[in-house]
Amino acid sequence: MRLKLKNLWAPLVATMGLLIFFEIISSTLFPIVGIQNYRLPFHILIVLYLGFRLETPYLSFLVLLLQYIHSLFSIEGWALGTVAGVLICMLCAYLKELLDFSSKMSTIFLTFLFQSLWFLIQGVLLYLTMDDWGYVAEKFWRFLPESFILSILSPFVFGILDFLWRSAGYNGSLEEEV
Amino acid sequence: MKYIETSPKRLKTTFDSLILLIALIVFSQQKDAMRQGAPFEEFLINIFAPIQSGITSAHTKALGFFNEYLANINASKKNKELLKKVLVLKEKIFAFEELAKENRRLKELLQFEEGLSIKGVLAQVVGWDTSSDFKSLRINRGAKDGLRLQSTVVTAEGVVGYVYRMTDHFSDVLTILNPKNRIDGIVERTRSHGIVEGFSSQKCIMKYVNQSDPLTLNDVVLTSGLGNIYPKGLQIGVVTKIKRESYETMQYVEIDPAVNFSRLEEVIVLVSEKKVMKKKEWNVLDRIKGNN
Repeated sequence: MRLKLKNLWAPLVATMGLLIFFEIISSTLFPIVGIQNYRLPFHILIVLYLGFRLETPYLSFLVLLLQYIHSLFSIEGWALGTVAGVLICMLCAYLKELLDFSSKMSTIFLTFLFQSLWFLIQGVLLYLTMDDWGYVAEKFWRFLPESFILSILSPFVFGILDFLWRSAGYNGSLEEEV
Repeated sequence: MKYIETSPKRLKTTFDSLILLIALIVFSQQKDAMRQGAPFEEFLINIFAPIQSGITSAHTKALGFFNEYLANINASKKNKELLKKVLVLKEKIFAFEELAKENRRLKELLQFEEGLSIKGVLAQVVGWDTSSDFKSLRINRGAKDGLRLQSTVVTAEGVVGYVYRMTDHFSDVLTILNPKNRIDGIVERTRSHGIVEGFSSQKCIMKYVNQSDPLTLNDVVLTSGLGNIYPKGLQIGVVTKIKRESYETMQYVEIDPAVNFSRLEEVIVLVSEKKVMKKKEWNVLDRIKGNN
């Protein structure tokens, strides 16, 4: 799906709205129900969708915008996620022909795989700033259940995103476009 | 526009490289968590934070209703117990007030400099960080309530953190569980100094404690007052793990925070009356080093 800038704004605003909804759920409802140590990083899922789906020169700019929205709810800031997101989107662009979203299982598997790459990039950057593998190892044990659940949720979330991006000029879903 | 249409791939590469470069530069400059929010950022936070606040207060009200009307079977019995406790506490408060007066008199005698008067602002936690790696929380008090950047946030149990981002009505607090939050700590019993850093969702570590310092488990760690952010004498936590290696000059100390972060609903923000921007000691030292 090749997109021009003028076609991007409407679905982008809708995607940002969805991200804000997920961020509010994650920052308020999770702690309320007693889940203190785990959060579902929905921003990663949305960035991965854009990487899998969109073919536009402005992709990295979209990643930056989504990470900026995420930074309003997290001390993480936008820079760390933007580095990981842009690198992963570049990789997705190279591997586009190989990525198969024909079934829910393959979507779950690929989402898990790219989340692991995201973790790897973040882990290396955090190690470079903190000089402590212990922190990265501790983060890994939280990453495993979080990414597993997020991967299971991915077909559902990608379905919503497919619906939002349909208005931008394509009539299909991620699963159909093999 | 012609360039965009004729060579979209080149444009994509340019965009990707440029944004990647900017992000890497910004990330490498993020040494300190504290930041003055841009007006647009403040505007967005002021829009979204009330939704977070609404959800949290709806939950609190629902829980309050349940506790007050449905699960309140032993209320009168508890009331009697609490009244007794109030009497005991009143006596203690009286004793503490006497001690405070005595302390003030002694300070005057020793001609100590009068400290900044500090007031407490009660705030409710309305949201947590959406990333499990970074421990921060959002409270429903901001600049309009007298809060300032770097204001210390505490509970009755101990230190929670400090204000690192603020709007007119909401503030973000960097908790002591975050690795970017460093406190100069002192062990109450041995008076050993060390730097307390956040490590994970449940514990902190105390760095640079001399191998020879005789720390034991359950030693209480307090803020030392150095570092210029936290007042002296606030409880950080207790020592839960000590590791000493013969080849190391320092010992590895793990601390269990005094504050139960999983049940944090209300906090107190300590605000000094004087409008001063505290300079962190390490920043000052860096500057001195730079000048030399």
